[in-house]
Amino acid sequence: MAARSDTAAAVKDIEAYKYGFVTDIESDRAPKGLNEDIVRFISAKKNEPAWLLEWRLKAFRYWLTLADLEPAWAKLHYPKIDYQDAYYYAAPKQKAALKSMDEVDPQLVETYKKLGIPLLEQQIMSGVAVDAVFDSVSVATTYKKKLNELGVIFCPISEAVQKHPELVQKYLGSVVPVADNFFATLNSAVFTDGSFVYIPKGLRCPMELSTYFRINEKNTGQFERTLIIADEGSYVSYLEGCTAPQRDENQLHAAVVELVALDDAEIKYSTVQNWFPGDKDGKGGIYNFVTKRGACRGKNSKIMWTQVETGSAITWKYPSCILQGDNSVGEFYSVAITNNRQQADTGTKMIHIGRNTRSKIISKGISAGKSSNTYRGLVRVQGKADGARNYTQCDSLLIGSACAAHTVPYIENRNPTAQTEHEATTSKISEDQLFYCLQRGMTEEEAVSLIVNGFCKEVLQTLPMEFAVEAQKLVGISLEGSVG
Amino acid sequence: MIEIKNLHVSVQGKEILKGISLSINAGEVHAIMGPNGTGKSTLSNVIAGREGYEITQGSVTFAGQDLLAMEPDARARAGVFLAFQYPVEIPGVSTSAFLKTAINAKRRAEGLKEIDAMEFLKLVKAKTKALGIADDMIKRPLNVGFSGGEKKRAEVLQMTLLEPKFAVLDETDSGLDIDALKVVSDGVNALRGPERAFLVITHYQRLLNYIVPDHVHVMTGGRIVASGGRELALELEANGYAKYMAAA
Amino acid sequence: MVATGLLDHPFKEAYASKAGALPGATHAWVDGLRQTARALLNTAGLPGPKTEAFIFTPVSDLAKIPFIPAASADDVDVRDVPLNVPRIAGASRIVLVNGVLNAALSDNIAVEGLRVESLKQVLARDTLSVKPLLGGLAASASLPLVALNTAYMADGLVIRAGKNFAGAMLHVISIGAAGAEPVAFHPRNLVALEPGAQLTLIETHVGLPGQNYLTNPVTEISLAENARLKRYVSVAEDDDAFHFATTSVALSAHSTFNAFHAGLGGGKVRQEVRAAFLGTGSSAIVNGVYALSGKQHHDFTTAMDHAVPHTTSSQLVKGVVDGQSRAVFQGRVLVDRDAQKTDARQLHKAMFLAKGPAVDCKPELEIFADDVQCAHGAATGELDENHLFYLMARGIDRDTARALLVSGFLEDVLESIGDEQVREAFSALVQGWLKRRAMRRAA
Repeated sequence: MAARSDTAAAVKDIEAYKYGFVTDIESDRAPKGLNEDIVRFISAKKNEPAWLLEWRLKAFRYWLTLADLEPAWAKLHYPKIDYQDAYYYAAPKQKAALKSMDEVDPQLVETYKKLGIPLLEQQIMSGVAVDAVFDSVSVATTYKKKLNELGVIFCPISEAVQKHPELVQKYLGSVVPVADNFFATLNSAVFTDGSFVYIPKGLRCPMELSTYFRINEKNTGQFERTLIIADEGSYVSYLEGCTAPQRDENQLHAAVVELVALDDAEIKYSTVQNWFPGDKDGKGGIYNFVTKRGACRGKNSKIMWTQVETGSAITWKYPSCILQGDNSVGEFYSVAITNNRQQADTGTKMIHIGRNTRSKIISKGISAGKSSNTYRGLVRVQGKADGARNYTQCDSLLIGSACAAHTVPYIENRNPTAQTEHEATTSKISEDQLFYCLQRGMTEEEAVSLIVNGFCKEVLQTLPMEFAVEAQKLVGISLEGSVG
Repeated sequence: MIEIKNLHVSVQGKEILKGISLSINAGEVHAIMGPNGTGKSTLSNVIAGREGYEITQGSVTFAGQDLLAMEPDARARAGVFLAFQYPVEIPGVSTSAFLKTAINAKRRAEGLKEIDAMEFLKLVKAKTKALGIADDMIKRPLNVGFSGGEKKRAEVLQMTLLEPKFAVLDETDSGLDIDALKVVSDGVNALRGPERAFLVITHYQRLLNYIVPDHVHVMTGGRIVASGGRELALELEANGYAKYMAAA
Repeated sequence: MVATGLLDHPFKEAYASKAGALPGATHAWVDGLRQTARALLNTAGLPGPKTEAFIFTPVSDLAKIPFIPAASADDVDVRDVPLNVPRIAGASRIVLVNGVLNAALSDNIAVEGLRVESLKQVLARDTLSVKPLLGGLAASASLPLVALNTAYMADGLVIRAGKNFAGAMLHVISIGAAGAEPVAFHPRNLVALEPGAQLTLIETHVGLPGQNYLTNPVTEISLAENARLKRYVSVAEDDDAFHFATTSVALSAHSTFNAFHAGLGGGKVRQEVRAAFLGTGSSAIVNGVYALSGKQHHDFTTAMDHAVPHTTSSQLVKGVVDGQSRAVFQGRVLVDRDAQKTDARQLHKAMFLAKGPAVDCKPELEIFADDVQCAHGAATGELDENHLFYLMARGIDRDTARALLVSGFLEDVLESIGDEQVREAFSALVQGWLKRRAMRRAA
């Protein structure tokens, strides 16, 4: 019941995009455009070792050969992106290295407060360690000390490159290779920052690790690179939240997230994405082209992706699991909400390689306004994956007669002892349910929000508590103006 | 007829049956009663030979044979019948083709010649009538679209046609209205005789008003915690399982 | 820009030069269709694995086979209908050999209100009556195999049923036969039912063992208001043969299309069924079974395009795969913006009978209207263990139980065939396949 009144209140409270404000901090940025010099500039700025510069250059040179091969198979329509008309590096200017949280620019901290991430209060209250990415550079990492004592490494990836080069070199690009796809290749060349996590053997990380991404600079593409390694027998839950200020132009975001789970390890990765979706007429908004992939490399390992995608003008995102280890498990829970002129093409890939590997896909798509929402998924069972199991359920809900919902699953089975099961439905919001709620005195918007939250429940309940409440509110906010 | 000795059974490493011993002689009807989740259905599945159950200790002997060493179909041909709690629906396989195949499998095992189509129809017709089963049911795909009551009647029909030596009725009364319960019970009672034994598994004593047992056992927590005559069932109806739950 | 992933195609000059005079050449509109189709083929070639609609069934490898047009193969002589083609009571037989109507093997059809003619003859006479049909429903531009057919169609059937025609049963038997050289033929069939007409069309595609042949039939079906067509197709081609069949159906208001497709053999087979729901109240059932062994490749592709309100489509396809075979199911349901109250359902299930086969499925929902009920399901796996246990618990041995269940898995779909004699004939084909499999295993 609390969730319902929360949602209803949130719907009333917020009329426009809540996170549309710009923080005015002098920024240090590279000249517009993309060439080898920019790649070298970024690498030099970060004081990177030679191997990483070479790695970036290799990616960049390969990317140049892909010029005409930007993926076109998704059900997305957007004007051709001019990759030369963007800034590839923007870092808030700082005088010296920070020694503690207190030294963080108060204006930045204020920004996070507006976003509802009380960086400072958090230390006391929620037990969430936050690695905040402000445009491209991680500005502060909380809880460092406690995590340090446990042997957990949780820091900006640029710092990990300096302090733990052996881990970065071993795993960077091992799940999403440089040549994986157009956007991942671009990211490999120009990534500026992101989070690095290493959980040592046997440790159950006692707190949720969290990153908030936020795009602030005008015309800056944001290219984070996140790498999470869960060593044997360890467990970690990682939260990622994203917001971006309101702008007229479209901003490009092309992140890469790589997860590696070794024997008996488990990684839970949750995302709530509410980048600026553009205005009612489709002006502005983030172009979100993200490659997220996890490798269940060890036996009995598990990777669970949960995503609540409510923002961005364009979402192109397929968090996937490579199930290599015997008995490994991959799960994907997704809520994707599109309204106005938003377009989302999102889903997952489950690649069964090891024996007795299991995967589960639960996808809930909600389309409203003039938006388009596509589930695209691949379940592949290779010949040696004896006893593999997949279960997929994709449900789409349409609100209003001007939106679209598509379901495009690919199922490839090469093993007779494997079982795959896929079910999908598309329908509109139930008149009976709506009427029932209205009869109990709810407004139509409240009723829709409530029903849609119910429709998404199976996914939302996989989120950590703090996130689940925020996600429920977002469901209501995202559908504003979709009824009546 | 059937001798269960110190039977321990685990499912995925969890012990469900913790030492069941039970001896049923020809001509007897035994009832096992107990609350949900105490292993009653595990016992019936182990007797019939379903996969996925690990027998860690004990034995089950049927007519002098080691039942646990036999495949499910061999057990059935030897005379063991399980009336399923939830009979599966099999689209595309007609009830009549299924029944004929099953009857002939048994006849072959007994060295009899296979039944021909005419004899088969005559035989089935007589039995369906007695059980109040509509004629067209045997033309329909096996159990597909059958109501709960129809499924249970179909199970009893199969039992009547296969004439087993030992039948396990797993919650055959669940989901039946009073009329159907009576029909099903009449079918079972008609088969009772000195050569045949029954194990009736049920949650409620109601069924035992119609199929009157010789012995009643109470099962909780994977063990038989009390045994007695019919009066035990009546006592359970009056007082519930609470007392026995504590014992387990 | 040169399309990537497309190889050369074998139907260029050498093939064209042997095709001889193709029917309709003197009519500008027919010739125009052919020119367009040839131009498309020459720029795009035959689709390979990078063309989305052919990712699982690329046909570009045909380029390696030097096909000649069937009409120029003078060493082919088919005197009888093969014995494995069932005789269906009440159905008139029409026999095509390598895509050409063979009057000697066909029954005489003299039924008022029904016209069955050869396309070649019709095109030699007046072409205006078939102009709305030919190329009107199956477009070369988006369908490369239709382009191939349009470029080289040499004959086929034109079947027309008049207003309120009360119904007849036609059994079209297509026999593929190659001589010393691999042959290709591209029959074009046109079927038109006037308002209220009813017709049952049975199609049996078989082949004689020998060299490779390719049959690439395109069937365009137009159903006027309240027309009802039942179409039962079985494909059991020779193991080396290629069979790519495209059917496009246009449904007017309250018309019904009830189709059943059985895929029981052929080297590489694709059965593509496309239905456009253009009138309210129209409905289609497209069901099918397939049973594959050896190295067979079978592709069942459907596209249901709901363009207007209140239309219904329903699909149930089941198949079993043995040996090293490969099964493909692609089912696309498109609901246009205006097509409110669409009810579209689809289920595909594939059962593995051995270690070795591959199954690929791509069911697809593309929905632009909100007040709809659409669902699809796809499952792959082995026989259900619970079913097996139930049968064994009744004394049936494992092998017999498996056979009964595999048969039942397919019979479940066969039960949807309304005409009893057709159902029995199709069931016999499936049972024959299962028996041959049992014999192979016993050997």
